[in-house]
Amino acid sequence: MTARTPTLSPARHVRVLRTQEGVLFIILLVIIVVLSLLSDRFLTANNLLNQTRLLTETALLALPMTLIIIGGGIDLSVGSTLAWSAVMLGFSWQLLGLPLPLAVLVCLLTGLLGGAVNGYLIAYVRVPPLIATLATLAIYRGFSFGISQARSARGFPEEFAFWGQGQIGPFPTQFVVLVVLIVAAHLLLSRTGFGRWVYAIGNNEVAARYSGIPVERVKFTLYALSGLMAGLAAFIFTSRVTTTRADAATGLELDVIAAVVLGGTSIFGGSGSVVGTMLGLAIITLLRNGLLLTGVKGDATFMVIGVVLIIAVLINDLVRKR
Amino acid sequence: MKRNPLNRSFVVLALSSLVIAACAAPPPAAQQPAAPAQPAAPAESQLPAGWKAGIPKNAPDRKGKKLVIRDVPKLIGIGYFAATTKGMEQAAAELGNIDFKTDAPTEAKIEKQIEFIDNFITQGVDVILFAANDPVAIAPVLKKALDQGILVIGYDADAQEDARQFFVNQATFEAIGAALIEDMVSQTGPDAEVAIVTSSLTAPNQNRWIEEMKKYAAAKYPNLKFVVTLPSEEDQQLAFKATQDIMKTYPNVKGVFGLSSVAFPGAADAVKQAGKCGQIAVVGLSTPNQMRPFVKEGCVKSVVLWNPIDLGYAAVYAARAVADGELKPGATTLKAGRLGELQVRGSEILLGPPFIFTKDNIDKFDF
Repeated sequence: MTARTPTLSPARHVRVLRTQEGVLFIILLVIIVVLSLLSDRFLTANNLLNQTRLLTETALLALPMTLIIIGGGIDLSVGSTLAWSAVMLGFSWQLLGLPLPLAVLVCLLTGLLGGAVNGYLIAYVRVPPLIATLATLAIYRGFSFGISQARSARGFPEEFAFWGQGQIGPFPTQFVVLVVLIVAAHLLLSRTGFGRWVYAIGNNEVAARYSGIPVERVKFTLYALSGLMAGLAAFIFTSRVTTTRADAATGLELDVIAAVVLGGTSIFGGSGSVVGTMLGLAIITLLRNGLLLTGVKGDATFMVIGVVLIIAVLINDLVRKR
Repeated sequence: MKRNPLNRSFVVLALSSLVIAACAAPPPAAQQPAAPAQPAAPAESQLPAGWKAGIPKNAPDRKGKKLVIRDVPKLIGIGYFAATTKGMEQAAAELGNIDFKTDAPTEAKIEKQIEFIDNFITQGVDVILFAANDPVAIAPVLKKALDQGILVIGYDADAQEDARQFFVNQATFEAIGAALIEDMVSQTGPDAEVAIVTSSLTAPNQNRWIEEMKKYAAAKYPNLKFVVTLPSEEDQQLAFKATQDIMKTYPNVKGVFGLSSVAFPGAADAVKQAGKCGQIAVVGLSTPNQMRPFVKEGCVKSVVLWNPIDLGYAAVYAARAVADGELKPGATTLKAGRLGELQVRGSEILLGPPFIFTKDNIDKFDF
């Protein structure tokens, strides 16, 4: 415990990451400049702050997803976990008559439970993450439909809207929550031993195990955290749309993974950063928003985003090789 | 080489307690939600008593001016909403001075639909037309549009009443019930035994239709006898089997109602395979594409539904009339071009009697 000796040479690692994030930042700036020339409604505080409302749920899930993918895993069940947690929120409030704060706690615990089951299957039963979370993607979605019977809970009191529609000063409430968690996740990954363990496991799990890293516990914690975040996202989502639906957030996992990968995190594990993920998400969100504002049709927007994704990955590759 | 486990646990603990503190705490009472629930009443006009529909705030005078209309259906890329868009484009072209466009997600997802509407609000359009994926979830963003003076009109699938100004109702339960009975009686005569294949016994729409059918029949055709109502649970095979059971158990049955897009073809198929086309009438609600083969063979004479082209057409006429101040709270009619005068009931514009698809017109529709 004398010196901090991560398994990777830190100098090389940090340098590569910095360049990747630099590239993403430049891409983001170019996109902002181009879009603000195309539409005068784009680069306004109002529009940009409003976008943070729409991206918060995705961003909350992208934080633990970044850590999981860096650690060599993946969590496909996040969208379903979100829906299941949201349904539990509505169910425990409307049908069981729990007070709303308790129902929110149920929602968070449901997410945590979903994540813990994933973590247990992956870390201790050793089911490959792709298969385990593909299975729970279906199972949790099934729970959502089974528990809700395809009915939605609605009629939440006005003050409940604070978390999804309210403001703290000029900022949307959920954006403030998100910023706090981004900072926390960034510090966790880049400044703590736990963060270095995640990189080490993603780089070489066997080596990590032999160097005394509690691989199982780290993995379990990551998936449990991911579930907890899905619970939190479910709460904010419910507050934003004022209803809980079993089909909420279908396919959201793809948006989340796209942001993480665009953010420069290697899908094979071992490298990546929270800042990169947030840049990736900002690029996707602003591109979609800006193109719609300039009058590009929704389906064309998807193609542009796909192209940008490929270009960004290619540029990243070039930078990495140099 | 062991790292300090305390360090790690602390961070995890700190993170999770942060999360819990951030969301479990009850929101402070002083904080105001973004969108006030009650829109301010307009200064100039009196609202009819009990008016619950939304009112745009400080809407500019748009009478006779160019309108930017954006249509956000549940999704795009399916025949049904392509048809509503077609009707809207026809109306926009007839009226002139309208910049019209449809854009929506490619899947019927409420989250994405909200995002489209939100972006149109930022764009500062004049009118938003919508068909809601969820009546409650769409309400906050529609109220936001109203708050910014944008006119909001629904069609096909409504939102909470206070989140939009008017809604074009494609078919009332009464009208559908009456049309189904008339259609049946025209084939079986007024003294027949009939049976119903519904979706599930708890389906709210189907139950309302059945109620209206029975009410209408009791008043006009008292000798029409309903022998049984069987569920098909959105399963065409079950509908098929239910119809076989009906034919076995009630040999005198002269007509079968199929009350969903699955029950109708299932029932028609059972009658066809029993070789009873022409002896047992099959009447119901479904889409032209579902029923086309049966209609062409003649085993099904007609399909009751509404015309989505007319639905879209009426929605744009409603938008123009609201912008011009002609369609306002308390109005009882709407002049809608080739559709003539449509009845307005409260904040709902009625498209009128259902549309009957037959052998002669079914090929004009693709949904």
